[in-house]
Amino acid sequence: MAYIEFKQVCKEYKMGEVTIKALNKANLQIEKGELVVIVGPSGAGKTTALNILGGMDTATSGDVIVDNKNISKLKNKELIKYRREDIGFVFQFYNLVQNLTAIENVELATQICKDSLDPEKIMKKVGLADRKNNFPSQLSGGEQQRVAIARAIAKNPKLLLCDEPTGALDYKTGKQILKLLQDTARKENMTVIIITHNAAIAPMADKIIRFKNGTAESVEINKEPKPIEEIEW
Amino acid sequence: MKKALIKDSFKEIKIGYKRFISILLMALLGVGFFAGLRATSPDMLNSINQYYQNQNVYDIQVMSTLGLTQEDIDALKNIENVQNVYGTYSKDVLIKTEDKELVTKVMSIEEVNKPRLVEGKMPENANQCLVEPLFLQVTNKKIGDTIQVEEDTEETSEDEEQSPTLKEKELVITGTAQSPLYISMEKGTSNLGAGKVDYYIYVPKENIQSDIFTEIYITLQNAQNYTTNSTEYKEYVKDTKDKIEEIKEEREQARYNSLITKANDKITEAQDELNTQKQDGENKIAEAENQINEGKAEIASGEQELEEQQSVANSKFRQAEQQIASAKQTLQTSQTQYEEEKKQAEQSFAQAETQKQELQKNLQTVETSLTTINEQYEKIIEELKKEDITEQEKTILEQTKQEIETQKKSLEQNQVQLKNGIAQIEEQTAQGKEKLQQAEAQLAQGKATIEEQEKTLQETKASTNAQIASARQKIEQSKQEIQTAEAELQTQKEEFNTKIQEAEAKLLDAKEKVNEIKNPEWYVLDREQNQGYASYIQDTNSIENLSIVFPIVFFAIAALVSLTSMTRMVEEERQEIGTLKALGYNKFDIALKYVLYSSLASIIGGIIGMNIGFQLLPRIIWMMYSMMYKMPDIIVSFNFTYATIGLGLIYLCIVGATIYAVLKEAKEQPATLLRPKAPKLGKRVLLERITPIWKRLNFTQKVTIRNIFRYKKRFFMTILGICGSTALILTGFGIKDSISAIIPNQYEEIFHYDIQVSLKSALEETQIQDFVTKLEEQEGITQVAELNMISGTTKNAELQEDVQIIIPKDNTQLDKIMSLREIKTKQKIELNEEGIIITDKLAQLIDAKVGDTIILEDANHITKEVKVTHIAENYISHYVYMSKELYEELFEKTYQTNILYIQDNNLSEEQENNIATQLLKQNEVTGVSLISTALSSVNNMMNSLNYVVVILIVSAGLLAFVVLYNLSNVNISERIRELATIKVLGFYDKEVYDYVTRETIILTIIGILFGLVAGYFLNFYIIGTCEIDMLRFVKEIHIQSYLYAVAITILFTLIVNFITYFALKKIDMLGSLKSVE
Repeated sequence: MAYIEFKQVCKEYKMGEVTIKALNKANLQIEKGELVVIVGPSGAGKTTALNILGGMDTATSGDVIVDNKNISKLKNKELIKYRREDIGFVFQFYNLVQNLTAIENVELATQICKDSLDPEKIMKKVGLADRKNNFPSQLSGGEQQRVAIARAIAKNPKLLLCDEPTGALDYKTGKQILKLLQDTARKENMTVIIITHNAAIAPMADKIIRFKNGTAESVEINKEPKPIEEIEW
Repeated sequence: MKKALIKDSFKEIKIGYKRFISILLMALLGVGFFAGLRATSPDMLNSINQYYQNQNVYDIQVMSTLGLTQEDIDALKNIENVQNVYGTYSKDVLIKTEDKELVTKVMSIEEVNKPRLVEGKMPENANQCLVEPLFLQVTNKKIGDTIQVEEDTEETSEDEEQSPTLKEKELVITGTAQSPLYISMEKGTSNLGAGKVDYYIYVPKENIQSDIFTEIYITLQNAQNYTTNSTEYKEYVKDTKDKIEEIKEEREQARYNSLITKANDKITEAQDELNTQKQDGENKIAEAENQINEGKAEIASGEQELEEQQSVANSKFRQAEQQIASAKQTLQTSQTQYEEEKKQAEQSFAQAETQKQELQKNLQTVETSLTTINEQYEKIIEELKKEDITEQEKTILEQTKQEIETQKKSLEQNQVQLKNGIAQIEEQTAQGKEKLQQAEAQLAQGKATIEEQEKTLQETKASTNAQIASARQKIEQSKQEIQTAEAELQTQKEEFNTKIQEAEAKLLDAKEKVNEIKNPEWYVLDREQNQGYASYIQDTNSIENLSIVFPIVFFAIAALVSLTSMTRMVEEERQEIGTLKALGYNKFDIALKYVLYSSLASIIGGIIGMNIGFQLLPRIIWMMYSMMYKMPDIIVSFNFTYATIGLGLIYLCIVGATIYAVLKEAKEQPATLLRPKAPKLGKRVLLERITPIWKRLNFTQKVTIRNIFRYKKRFFMTILGICGSTALILTGFGIKDSISAIIPNQYEEIFHYDIQVSLKSALEETQIQDFVTKLEEQEGITQVAELNMISGTTKNAELQEDVQIIIPKDNTQLDKIMSLREIKTKQKIELNEEGIIITDKLAQLIDAKVGDTIILEDANHITKEVKVTHIAENYISHYVYMSKELYEELFEKTYQTNILYIQDNNLSEEQENNIATQLLKQNEVTGVSLISTALSSVNNMMNSLNYVVVILIVSAGLLAFVVLYNLSNVNISERIRELATIKVLGFYDKEVYDYVTRETIILTIIGILFGLVAGYFLNFYIIGTCEIDMLRFVKEIHIQSYLYAVAITILFTLIVNFITYFALKKIDMLGSLKSVE
C-alpha cells in the first residue's frame, strides 16, 4: 500500500446555485520519501488536492490515506493535529509573521510540535544562519521563502507541501529554492510535493502527476530525476 | 455623487454591518450620554422655572429687622420694572398633637408664592388652612381634621406695634399643599421649640391680624421672559435690586423716624400719666391719712363722751335707786301700820261679830217667840172667829188677844232694835273693812309704783348700758377699721411706691430702649437666598459639572474607536480606492462613500441616542433628586442646543476620523494603492534590549509583547477604552460607597446614641434630673446624656451656614455618646472653654480653620465672636460644639437641658419603638426620634443610588464592549493572514485564540490598572462636584468596589473574547492565504 493514496476523491464547491467540482474522482498514489511535482493548468484541481492532503480542506467524498490514516474522515480537531504534526506547508507568498524575526518564525512552528528540529540548525541548513535575527521585511523574497521552508521542515513533518514555492521569485532564486527542496527530500528522506504550473521543472521529481479537470490525468515515474542545477527553463 | 458609488456605499453597510453597528453604537452612547446628561441640568432649571412661574414666585424679597409698612410697599411700587409688590405675613407657632410639639411656620396665602395644592381644596374661611403633605403623615391627621395653634403672644407688649397674630387658632385642614418657597426639607431656624421649623401651614390672609408686614415680595415686569438663574435673569434682578438698595436707606430712616417718634410720644404720654398718677396717688394717700386721723380724733372724743354719759347715767341711776329705796322704806312703815290697823280692825270685827252673833241669837229668840206668839195669835183669832165661843171665852180670848198683841208689839220692837243693832254692827264692820281695804289698796299701789319705778330704772339702765356698749363697740369697730385702714394704707403706700418705682424704671427702660432702637435694616434678597432654591440650583450645577466630565470620556473613546474602525475599513478597501482613482474619480468622490457610511452611522446612532438620552437620563437623575425636593415632576424636553452640539461633536469625531483616514490613503498614487500595503514592519521593542528580562520570557510571551507594541493605535485604544470603563464602573461603585458610608459613619462612628428625646422648655432642673434618673434606671438604657441644642448660624466673612449648636451638660457624658475626633488622625478632641469645635464640612463651607475667629449667632440673632479650637469629623448636617461654661459666659444665658441623647443596649427596633411611645406619653417630653427609623428612611433613599451605579455600569459596560468588540474586529481583520498562517501551522483553535487574546488580556489588565487609578480620581472629582452642602461624602472606595469594577470589566472582556473565539474559528485559511498581500 502506498504511503499516500487518493481514492475517488471528490471536492465540490457550491457557488450559489452552481456546483463546481474542483476534484472529480481523483486517484493517485505517492510513496514515502518521493519528491513529487504536480503540474497542470489553473483550475485543474491541483491546489485543492494539495489542500485536502495538507488537512486544510476536506474532501466531499472519497478517501485520502496518509500513512495508513484516512484523513478525510478526521474531525476538525484531529485535522489540526494532523496539520500540526505531519504537515509542513510552503506558500507562494511565504506568509511569514512580519512581527517575528526569521528564527522566531521557525520557532513559531517548532514550539507546537513534539519532534521538532532545532531552529538554529535548520536556519543553518537553509543557509540563513547569519540572517536569523532579521525581520521578514529585512529579507529578500528568496530569503523569506527559505525561512518559510525552514519553518515547514523544522516541524519534522511527514509531508512537505509546497504550493508554487517559486511563483513570486525570480529564476535564479527560484532555482535555489527548488534546490533546497530537492536536497531536503533527498537528505532527510522527506516526502515533498511541489505544485507548479511550470512543467519545465518536472524532471527534478521522482514522480510527476499531471492534473486536468479535477483528476490526476497521468502519473509518470521518473526513474532518473535530474538535479535542479541541470534543469533549465 | 455617482450613482454607482452610492449603491456601493449602501452595499458596504450591508456587508460591513458589524462595523456599521459598532460605529452607530458609539455614536448612540456618546450622543445619548452627552445630550441626556447635559440636558438634565437645563431640564431641572426649566422645571423649577415653570414651577416658579406657575406659582408666581417672587423675584425680590425685602425683609426688615423692624417689619415693613404700607408706605414701604408704596415706595417700592414706584421703582422701575417692579410689577407687583405684595406685603405678606408669616409667623412661627407651635402645633401640639397627641404626641408631638411641632414648630410650624404659618404663612398667609397670597397672590405671590402661591402654594401648590396637592390634595383637597383651598381654604375659604379664616378658620381653615392648608398643610404640607408630610404634616398629615407625621401627625396622623386627615383632611377635615382640626389642628390647634399655640401662639406666643407675650412677645407683643402694648407700646409696640402688633406683629402678626392669628385670629382663629383652631384650624380645619382643607387640603395639602407644597410651598414653592420650601422645596427642600430645610425650613430654616425658629426661636421656638428645638429651634428648627418643622413644617409650614398656609392660612387665609383674613385670619391674620397685624400692624406690619413681615416680608415684602416683589415680582418684576417681564421676568417670565427670562429663565430663572440665567445670567439675564440675574442681571435683571440685580438691576432692580440696586434700585431698591437706593431707596433702602431712605425707607429705613423713615421707618426709624416713625418708630422713634411713636415711641417718644408714647414715652412722654407714659411720663405724664405716671406723673399724674403719682400725684393722684400721693393725694389720695394724704387724704386717706387725714381721714384716718380724723377718724381717730372722732373716736377719742366719742370715747370721752361715752365715758361722761356713762357717769351721768350712773349717778342718775344711783339717785333713782335711793329714791326707790326710801319709797320702799315708807311703804314698809305703811305696811306695818296697816298690818297693825288690820289686826286691830280684825279684833274689832271679831267683837262686832260676836255682838252680832249675840244679837242674832236674841233676834232668833225674838223671832221664835214672835212666831209662837203669832201662832197663838192666829189661834185666838181663829177661835174668836168660831161662833160657838162664849163671850167670856171671847173676852178672855180678847184679853189674851190683847196681851198677845202687846207682847207681840214689844217683840216686834225688840226685833227691829235687834235688826238695827245688827245692821249697825254690819255697817261698822263694813266700814272698817272698807277702810282696811282702802289702806291695802293704797299700800299695793305704793308697792306697784315702786316696782314700776324699779322696773323703769332697770330698763333705763339696761337700755343705757346697751347704748353705751354699742357705742363702745362701734368705737372699737371704727378703731379696728382704722387700724386695718392704716395697715392697708401702709401696704398701699408701699405698693404705690414700688409701682411708681417700677413704672419709673420701665419708663427709664423704655427710654433706653428708644435709644436702643437700632436703625432698621432692610434685607433685599432674591431667590438665591432661598435655601431650597439655592441648594436646588447648586445641585443643577453639580449635575452640569458631571455632565461635562462623563461625555468627554465617551466622545474621546468614540472618536478613537471610529478612527481605528474607519482606518481599517479604508485600508481594507485600499485596492478599491486605487481602482477608483485609476478610473479617474477624485479623492472627494472616493471619500464621499466613507463619509456617507460614517455619517449615516453617526447620525442614526446620534439621533437614537439623543432621544433615549433626553428622555431617560433627566428622569433617572430626577428620581434621585425628587426625594430631596418637593416639586412637581421634571419636565423633560428635547434640548435642541445639546442635540445639535452632541450630534455635531460625534459627527465631527467619527466623520472627521473617517475623512482623515480616507484622505491619508487617497492622496497616494493609484499604482501604490493597487499594490498591497506594506505590512507593518516588525520591530524590536524596548524590552528586548533589556536582555535579562527578555531572555527569561518564553516564546509566546515574546511574541505577545512584540505584538502589543506593534499596533500602537490599538494599544492605546484598548487601554483607554478599558481604562475609561473601569473608571466609570469604579466611580459608580465609589459614589455608592461614599454615600452609603455616610450613615454608618455618622451613627456608628461619630454618634453613639440611639434615641433623641426633646424636652419641654419650661422644665425645672429637678424635674429634668428626676426624669433623667428614671430613664437611667430603665432596663435596656445604658447611657443618657443631657445637652442643650440650639439652632444658630455661623458666619465667616461673607460666608454663612446654619448650624446646630450642641452644649453638653457634662463633657464626660458627651464623650460616651459621641466621638469627637480629628478627621485624619482619628485622635480624640477635647471640648474646652477657649473656643468651639466645628464640624469638617462646615469648616469647608465657611472657610474656617483651627485658630480662626468666627461669628456665632443664636436663634435670637445675638452674635458673638468665638475661636475655633478644633475641626471634628462629621458627615451629616453641621454642628458646633461648645462647652457649657463658654456658652453661659458668651451668651449670658443659663444652660438648660432640652435634648437627651439615649444609648440603649442594642435593643431591637420594636423595643426601641416601645420606649419611644412610652417616652412620648411623659409630660416632660415633646418629641422622640429614633436613629433606627431615621436610618431606614435614609437607607431607602440610598437605594436610589443604585440607579446611578446601574447607569454607570451599564454605560461603562457598553463602552467596554463596543471598544473591545471593535478593536477585536479590527485586530482580526488586520492580522487575518497571520492568523491563517498559524492556523495552517497547526495551532489549535484555543491556541489561536490565546495567541490573539493574550494581547487583549494584557492590554485589558493594563487598562484596568489605569482605570482603577483614573476611577479613584474621577470618583473624588465627582463626589467633590455633587456633594450636598449638608453632607460630607466619605472619601473612600471599598476594596469590594475595586474588585467589582475589575470583575465587571473582565466579564465584558470575556464576552468580547468569546465572540472573538468564534470569529477566529471562522477564519478561512485558504482564502486569506491565497490573496496577494
